[in-house]
Amino acid sequence: MGTISKILGLALTAGGAVILAYGMGPDAGGLSFILFTVGLVVMSVGFSLLTAGRKKEEVKASLPTVTEIRCNGCDFKEIRDYEKGDYILKPLEANCPKCNGKMTIEGVYVVREESDQDRF
Amino acid sequence: MQIGLPEGDYSWILNLVFFGFIITMSLYGQKIQMWQWLKQIEAGLIELKRMAIESRQSAIDAFKEHGTEEEEVAKEIDRWLDYFTIMPVDLDPAGILTRLDHLLDQRRDRFQEFVTDLTPDASNSERMNLENTLEVTQVLSLIFRIVRHFYLLGKKTGSTIMVMQVQMIMPELLRLAKAYSDAMEAFAQGKPIGDGIGPLVVTKLAREYEATPETYVHEVTKEVGYYPIEVEGRTVYALRATGPGGTVGKPGFAVKKIVADNKGKIARIITVDAALKLEGEEMGRVSEGTGAAIGDPGPEKYAIEQAATEYGIGIEAIVIKEDEAAAVGVMDKRVLDSVPEVIERIKIAITKRTKPGDKIILAGIGNTIGIGL
Ligand SMILES: [Zn+2]
Repeated sequence: MGTISKILGLALTAGGAVILAYGMGPDAGGLSFILFTVGLVVMSVGFSLLTAGRKKEEVKASLPTVTEIRCNGCDFKEIRDYEKGDYILKPLEANCPKCNGKMTIEGVYVVREESDQDRF
Repeated sequence: MQIGLPEGDYSWILNLVFFGFIITMSLYGQKIQMWQWLKQIEAGLIELKRMAIESRQSAIDAFKEHGTEEEEVAKEIDRWLDYFTIMPVDLDPAGILTRLDHLLDQRRDRFQEFVTDLTPDASNSERMNLENTLEVTQVLSLIFRIVRHFYLLGKKTGSTIMVMQVQMIMPELLRLAKAYSDAMEAFAQGKPIGDGIGPLVVTKLAREYEATPETYVHEVTKEVGYYPIEVEGRTVYALRATGPGGTVGKPGFAVKKIVADNKGKIARIITVDAALKLEGEEMGRVSEGTGAAIGDPGPEKYAIEQAATEYGIGIEAIVIKEDEAAAVGVMDKRVLDSVPEVIERIKIAITKRTKPGDKIILAGIGNTIGIGL
C-alpha cells in the first residue's frame, strides 16, 4: 500500500509538472491558463500522496519496567525485569551471591528516552 | 509565457470557474471549515474511545483475578463508570472545607465498599491498587463522554464556537488521556508511580536514621502513619501514607493531629511532594519554596496551613518536578535519581533552620503504590 501510493504520487507529480510546463509554453495557446491550473492541482495531489503517511508514527511498545536490587551489606547490584509483586524497599528472600547478605529492591522504574533538546 | 487571460472561445470557462470559486468560498467557507474541524475532532474521539475501552478492559482483567466472574465484573464496572460527586455549595462558603471533606470521605467509603464487594479474595493493598485502577478508568471514560457530547451537540446545532473550542483543546485532552492510559499498567500491576516520590524520600531518609517497618507508627489518621526518628538531636516525625498499596491517605490531617498532640511545640513543617514541571524544565529537578506542598482539593492543605499559622510554625516545601505522564505513570529513572539530592536538602533545612531538641514534622505527600514501608 505504502509503495504503491508513493509511486502513484511520484507519477502524478511528474505528470502535473509536464502539464504545467506545457501550459506555460508557447504551444498551449488559449488553453494556457487552464492547463496551468490543472497542472498545479495534479501536482499538489501527487505531492500530498507522496508525503502522506510520513506523519504517522509507529505505535511504541510500552517501555519495559526494571527492578534494581542491591545488597544491604556490600556493593552488589542487579537489574532485572519487573516481576509482579515487586515494590520499592521490598526485602528479598534471596541472599546476595557475593557476601550472602540480605538484599532489598532499591528501585522499580522505566527509562524514558530524553526528549529532543530544544534551543531553550 | 502566456499566463494571463486567454483569448478566444475558452475565456467564458475560466470566468465561470473563477466566479464559482469566489461564490462557493464566500457562501460555504465556514461550512467547509466546520467540516474540517469536525473531522479532526472525530479522529481524536476515535483515539479517546480506544483508550477508554482499553482501560475498561484492563480494569476488568485486574478485578476478575480476585474471585468474581468476568461478566459480573464488567456489569458492575459499567455501573460505576459515571459515579459522580456533587461539590458542596459555595454561595455560603462558611464551613465549606468541612463539608467537602465529609463528601470526599463518603465517596472514598463507597469506592472501598464497591471494590471489596467485587474482590472477596484480594488483600488490602491489592484492593487499594484496584481502587486506583478504577479511578483511572473513570477519568478516561469521563473525557471520552464529554468530548463526544460536545462533538455531537456541535454537529447537531451547527454551533461554530462549540466545535472550535473542542478542536482547539483536543491536543491537550489527548495528551492528558494518553498519560492516564499509560498509567493503567502501573496501577493495575501495583508498580510505583512518579507521584510516590514524596513518601519514598521520607522513607529513605528515615531508614538512614534506623527506622524500620516495625518502628512505623500506623494509623495516625486513616492510612497515614510516621517513623519517629532522631536527626542531629532533633525529633522528626517522618510522615507518609501506608504502602505498598496505592493510597494517598490524609497526611494533612495527620500533620494537624501531630501538631495538636504536641500542643503546638513543633518547630518546623516540611512537606515533600511531586509537582508538575513546566514544559522545558528538567525532569526530576528539585526545587524549594514556602507553603504546604499538597495537591488535595482543599481540606488538607487548609489543615496544615491552619495548624502552622495558629502556632506560628515555620513551613516549607520541597518539590520534585515531573510531567503528567511521569507523575501518574511508572516511576521515571530521572525522578528516582533525585532522591539523594532531596534528602540532602531536607538535612540542610533541618540543621540550618531548627535547633537541637526541636520537634519537626516531615511529610512525604503522594500515592504510595509500589513503595514499601
Ligand atoms: Zn552482598
